[in-house]
Amino acid sequence: MSEFIIRNATINDIPLLVDTIIEAEKSGTDVLSYSSIFGLSEEEVRKYLNDILYEEIDGCELSVSSFIVAECNGKTAGAVSAWIEGAEGIPSAVIKGNLLNYSLPKRCIENAVRVNEIIRDLDIEYFPNTIQLGAGYVVSEFRGKGLLGLLESEIIARLAQTNPNVKQVWAQIFYCNIPSIRTFEKANFELVLTKESSNEEILKYLPSNKKVLMKKELVVK
Amino acid sequence: MEKIEIVKNLTVIFRSVLKNDSLVLTDELTANDVDHWDSLSHMLIISEIENKFSIKFKLKDLNKMRNVGDMIEIISSKL
Repeated sequence: MSEFIIRNATINDIPLLVDTIIEAEKSGTDVLSYSSIFGLSEEEVRKYLNDILYEEIDGCELSVSSFIVAECNGKTAGAVSAWIEGAEGIPSAVIKGNLLNYSLPKRCIENAVRVNEIIRDLDIEYFPNTIQLGAGYVVSEFRGKGLLGLLESEIIARLAQTNPNVKQVWAQIFYCNIPSIRTFEKANFELVLTKESSNEEILKYLPSNKKVLMKKELVVK
Repeated sequence: MEKIEIVKNLTVIFRSVLKNDSLVLTDELTANDVDHWDSLSHMLIISEIENKFSIKFKLKDLNKMRNVGDMIEIISSKL
């Protein structure tokens, strides 16, 4: 039996969720896209992600309701996010864009104007009415126990149960994030697409110039 | 401001942010229909709209916008 208790995230988990978003964005590198794109320090990114999560707007990767959390002996051990794309008729990119515009200072938006054209080379659309896996993170002392895979399979099972019409799970991963890609492969995800940018400047803003799209068909029971 | 004038201004903003000179806005158009209308582009579109029309959206206004038609309606209500 698992030593972990898995539950829905609450606003009390926001510090862990901020760590999760930041570590997943970095994908094992030092490049934090929220810092490089918006011209913010990591501390500032933490503050704004905290503010955004406190808004409790559902339906995107910056929604508390998109996360589940694992606990072990009262300590939070890790978190993952996933959501049903366009569940309320609004694409998650629009919800996230609204939150960013509302929460970030104008100087960040001016910074992003310059970067937008460079990073769009790796833009991959989210397909409506599918499960989209977002950020995943395990606190260092709980690594090596397969917790990330456990959290991912749990969140997929929960979303599939409450949304029986949804048939596919998708994940977008930076190519440098080998552990994450291996976890998805072990969970029978297949590689569908690799997107690469030849613009070396992209590495100033993103952890990799290559992104992969992986998919899993849900088995109807 | 008339709807036609709002659409004209929005078209300039959308074409500029999305780098798509042939984009035609319709009431039914959503982010799912247009290449590169991702979270960052959406943030820039909303910011440009606020600058152009000298308005500031509330978060609850923004989260009612399912398509361009909703966007036009909310802009109209603020002018």
